Amino acid sequence: MRRQLMAGKDGDRFQHQGAVELLVFNFLLILTILTIWLFKNHRFRFLHETGGAMVYGLIMGLILRYATAPTDTESGTVYDCGPLSFSPSTLLVNITDQVYEYKYKREISQHNISPHQGNAILEKMTFDPEIFFNVLLPPIIFHAGYSLKKRHFFQNLGSILTYAFLGTAISCIIIGLIMYGFVKAMVSADQLKNGDFHFTDCLFFGSLMSATDPVTVLAIFHELHVDPDLYTLLFGESVLNDAVAIVLTYSISIYSPKENPNAFDTAAFFQSVGNFLGIFAGSFAMGSAYAVVTALLTKFTKLCEFPMLETGLFFLLSWSAFLSAEAAGLTGIVAVLFCGVTQAHYTYNNLSPDSKMRTKQLFEFMNFLAENVIFCYMGLALFTFQNHIFNAVFILGAFLAIVVARACNIYPLSFLLNLGRKQKVPWNFQHMMMFSGLRGAIAFALAIRNTESQPKQMMFTTTLLLVFFTVWVFGGGTTPMLTWLQIRVGVDLDEYVKEDPSSHQEANKLDKNMTKTESARLFQMWYGFDHKYLKPILTHSGPPLTATLPAWCGPLSRLLTSPQAYAEHLKEDDVECIVNQDELAMNYQEPSPSAGRPPTKLSLDKKASPQTPSKENLYEGDLGLGSYELKLEQTPGQSQMD
Amino acid sequence: MEPGDTARPGSRRVVGALPPRLLPLPLMLLLLGWGLRAGAAASSSGASAEDSSAMEELATEKEAEESHRQDSVSLLTFILLLTLTILTIWLFKHRRVRFLHETGLAMIYGLIVGVILRYGTPATSGHDKSLSCSQEDRAFSTLLVNVSGKFFEYTLKGEISPGKINNVEQNDMLRKVTFDPEVFFNILLPPIIFHAGYSLKKRHFFRNLGSILAYAFLGTAVSCFIIGNLMYGVVKLMKIVGQLSDKFYYTDCLFFGAIISATDPVTVLAIFNELHADVDLYALLFGESVLNDAVAIVLSSSIVAYQPAGLNTHTFDAAAFFKSVGIFLGIFSGSFTMGAVTGVVTALVTKFTKLHCFPLLETALFFLMSWSTFLLAEACGFTGVVAVLFCGITQAHYTYNNLSVESRSRTKQLFEVLHFLAENFIFSYMGLALFTFQKHVFSPIFIIGAFVAIFLGRAAHIYPLSFFLNLGRRHKIGWNFQHMMMFSGLRGAMAFALAIRDTASYARQMMFTTTLLIVFFTVWIVGGGTTPMLSWLNIRVGVDPDQDPPPNNDSFQVLQGDGPDPTGGSRTKQESAWIFRLWYSFDHNYLKPILTHSGPPLTTTLPAWCGLLARCLTSPQVYDNQEPLREDDSDFILTEGDLTLTYGDSTVTANGSSGSHTASMSLEGSRRIKSSSEEVLDRDLGMGDQKVSSRGTPLVFPLQENA
Repeated sequence: MRRQLMAGKDGDRFQHQGAVELLVFNFLLILTILTIWLFKNHRFRFLHETGGAMVYGLIMGLILRYATAPTDTESGTVYDCGPLSFSPSTLLVNITDQVYEYKYKREISQHNISPHQGNAILEKMTFDPEIFFNVLLPPIIFHAGYSLKKRHFFQNLGSILTYAFLGTAISCIIIGLIMYGFVKAMVSADQLKNGDFHFTDCLFFGSLMSATDPVTVLAIFHELHVDPDLYTLLFGESVLNDAVAIVLTYSISIYSPKENPNAFDTAAFFQSVGNFLGIFAGSFAMGSAYAVVTALLTKFTKLCEFPMLETGLFFLLSWSAFLSAEAAGLTGIVAVLFCGVTQAHYTYNNLSPDSKMRTKQLFEFMNFLAENVIFCYMGLALFTFQNHIFNAVFILGAFLAIVVARACNIYPLSFLLNLGRKQKVPWNFQHMMMFSGLRGAIAFALAIRNTESQPKQMMFTTTLLLVFFTVWVFGGGTTPMLTWLQIRVGVDLDEYVKEDPSSHQEANKLDKNMTKTESARLFQMWYGFDHKYLKPILTHSGPPLTATLPAWCGPLSRLLTSPQAYAEHLKEDDVECIVNQDELAMNYQEPSPSAGRPPTKLSLDKKASPQTPSKENLYEGDLGLGSYELKLEQTPGQSQMD
Repeated sequence: MEPGDTARPGSRRVVGALPPRLLPLPLMLLLLGWGLRAGAAASSSGASAEDSSAMEELATEKEAEESHRQDSVSLLTFILLLTLTILTIWLFKHRRVRFLHETGLAMIYGLIVGVILRYGTPATSGHDKSLSCSQEDRAFSTLLVNVSGKFFEYTLKGEISPGKINNVEQNDMLRKVTFDPEVFFNILLPPIIFHAGYSLKKRHFFRNLGSILAYAFLGTAVSCFIIGNLMYGVVKLMKIVGQLSDKFYYTDCLFFGAIISATDPVTVLAIFNELHADVDLYALLFGESVLNDAVAIVLSSSIVAYQPAGLNTHTFDAAAFFKSVGIFLGIFSGSFTMGAVTGVVTALVTKFTKLHCFPLLETALFFLMSWSTFLLAEACGFTGVVAVLFCGITQAHYTYNNLSVESRSRTKQLFEVLHFLAENFIFSYMGLALFTFQKHVFSPIFIIGAFVAIFLGRAAHIYPLSFFLNLGRRHKIGWNFQHMMMFSGLRGAMAFALAIRDTASYARQMMFTTTLLIVFFTVWIVGGGTTPMLSWLNIRVGVDPDQDPPPNNDSFQVLQGDGPDPTGGSRTKQESAWIFRLWYSFDHNYLKPILTHSGPPLTTTLPAWCGLLARCLTSPQVYDNQEPLREDDSDFILTEGDLTLTYGDSTVTANGSSGSHTASMSLEGSRRIKSSSEEVLDRDLGMGDQKVSSRGTPLVFPLQENA
């Protein structure tokens, strides 16, 4: 009885400790929020909220490290179990007639044991790294996908994809090579044991270091209304970049040649490449499949009568995308990213206005919390993580490597892209992009995932320091840099429009040419396909399928087209009318910003619109919504006020 | 597990979306197939693991990965269940089918999946080995084990009672879908409870505060004792018949009484809400059920803490009894204080910073502070759920008035979604648990006894208390209301969470099974019968809360000094007790002005000698209200909103027409008259009501609020 009581108390203490630990994080976040409010209130832009969160995390880490006494020293005693020949996933331990169940956590290498015998509070403060991947990152990534500025994003899709895929690969290889050189130098300088650090480790470091995360820069851009093209390029690159880096890291880590781990093995290499492609494509398919399901569900049910149910469904299905990707052995985060992009592109148009607001706010909120928790934890980890390996040469080398790699990624690719682009990426944009190579949450999460071996620990420490440095120094220097590079700020999307409102009508023909030169044929085909078939199938907007599909699939198209698509004029429902009114109103501002290059279809319709208003309006209403969404995003406070 | 394969359930669902009745089956079969394959993969990887130790390590790694995968699958199961529930509920709501609430539906789907998991998956044996190591003398949270030169870290998962070791080695999939019971207390219940506190209809709640408190505290205690005693009788009977195979003490019976006293009439309330049943009845039921939960939690934990000193641990011991009572009071008041204090802190922070310029930050702060309440209470050894409840009430009463318009809707919607998801999750888990929980003890006598006991306990609680309350109330609780309250004694999430928390002993397992069955029965049968019952009892429906308070308007005018209305005065006196009136005026004169932007300026309510303090605590907006020159538009809207709330409150406060109160009100009134007329005032009141109503009906189009 007594023993049971003691055990119960132990469990209690266990739980209370968990509560205390979470409380510390809550407290840090509250502090961050208040400080950020102060900064924002005084328009002080040197420190972003993520930087603030890191500072507070650091302070708290310092306190925990040096102000708390090591309490529970016994917990690290090693037990030898003779009868056991392997490590089972569950261990039942019989301690004086009381059976306890233990769950396998991980393997620990020899040299890491001593820190485990240290401070229990520090131990408690260390999360399981999988939490980042399963709990904290998904909302961040989903939000990023969900809030991609659609129009500008698709306008620059080619460049963004180039930067994200080619750029990340280049940066990964260059960082890997430079680091391999440094490692060799360190080995010859006797700073490192030979044979510890393989080339694959260097590549691993390169791939995790390639995940840029310019939250700080983007937040400042957002606030100052920097040129939307630059914003889109950076944002799109960083978002897709993350996905590429995650998959790349994974495929490098499973690259295991048969004999010599250092030698190049073609079969293993191609297996890794195959893995990369397979996982990427699989995750992409999974994410978009769930989004398409959501779009169809929201289209064919009248769920919009109950915004809460709609929001719940939206949230649950997006989460399912993550879970099923994980269950199928793919990468959940990548699936979630593409799910977010697809949801924004299709499902968003089917939601009721209330749900649009709700989903946006919900994910914005989750993104905010998760991001700040991660950055807080980074600050904390510098002191509470117990296996740091600081190696000055490696850190310096890494720093050099990321700068060089970023340069090798941006300048050559921009040069190549400028050959094809009508609207060139100017030099100051390139410098700005070069400068915004911040590292953030993804790099950290990838680095902390595996900290077993010594090289991995060294990488973790280096990553942490690089994140600190880039977020504070580069992030703080964004505003001066913007003025120095003479990048125009204060570009309002709507004003941007009004610069050339009249030229629009005549520009139609020009547009046609422009589109052709600017976007590749592939993208054009996609636009056409998307507009003619996918949009009408998945959303309430677009031309009715009966018009776009060939005649022989008439019944099918009639079934799939939502009644709203043709029954425009005979609409009684009041609420619906308001919604459409909204769409229409937004609509008129829309074509002009994209005067740069709207898809050909659009310009044709615009001409015809005066004669046959209802159908055409609806058709444009869909794109108009896009711009409406943009505005919403920019001034979340205002949109509700009016 | 090809991507195409996994995409298939999705596409299947699309096809099935049109007739939702047909769709669960293929989906679940697919899911099942998944689980099977995952299980098979695990076992095959395990079979090869016996060969060499290197291979075994690899196998362990693989197994960890596999277990992550299975975790994903089991969570996915729940999420798909919830998705299904949402779609079906939409269909029901669309067709106005009212006999099955979403929670009932979630349980049905849970049951179906539970059956499939139970009988469709083969039992895979784990690789658990029981070994005896002599070194340890107590359990550590982490264990480092040296296995032939390699070190492995193990974390403590839980304690297993000796009788259940065999069960541990049973079906893997069933184990995966069985959650740690603490998940309910630490993750799922807090948002539900907080939302309940945050959405208490303030005006009606405070008007009936006395009755609600009586029902919640006295009623729960009465019901707990009656159920406990009846169950003790049943247990004695079972012993005589020879049906009982293990110990069952009186404290166990009382514990059962405590957990089963937590009523949770979500189903009934949802129907009331939809039909706009009488607001007073709604407030009584809702308030009772919310506070009830808090009382039941604390009561059950103090019964568990009842530990007589002597050898015989289950006899009556006065010292231990009083200690239990002390624990009850201590935990309850501690949690209450904790919740109220964090609510007050949040109110002060939102008042004195201009955080409302950034709704996102404001919402985040609000959320974090509310969550901190829970954690703080847990860390201090109080009950987090109770603290969260009171925090929610305080936040709604004070902080809500300081938030920006956008934050108000954001916080409301956020907690609404969280509440919705958590509640349906718990109910679908209940359905699942009937089949996947592996230690059920079905005892027909006990179950029947429990049904009779809860019925009698509810009756012995409602009718006598209503009788006593009617002696004091002006606005009597009618017979039909009493019958309805008697009828709405549903059991739900809280009873389940309390029962599942400890299922170690035989008695507790029997209780758990019984609780589960009672929840099923009450939610389906009683919940489904609400609409017929309402019409049978002639309870008026379609009452719009806006139309309700014409009498209130009278008393409001009394306050305005339009001529003292003697009947109104006497009525208020009879209705609310003296202590409540005192509280109202204190709240209105001091707390509201200190914590929010509304209310009379402190400089007028506080005595002159603390003028400095009053000046620094009163928000500038309160003074601004008195000056006609106001430029800022949004500010105007905000204060307008605040005023509304003030007036909405003052209808309540109207009841306590103490001297200083009237003075301050008339002061405000004169100021209002200066700028506008009485109509404005009436309109304000109307707006207040609208706000209240929109809180009650969560599915109202919220943009109307701003219109």
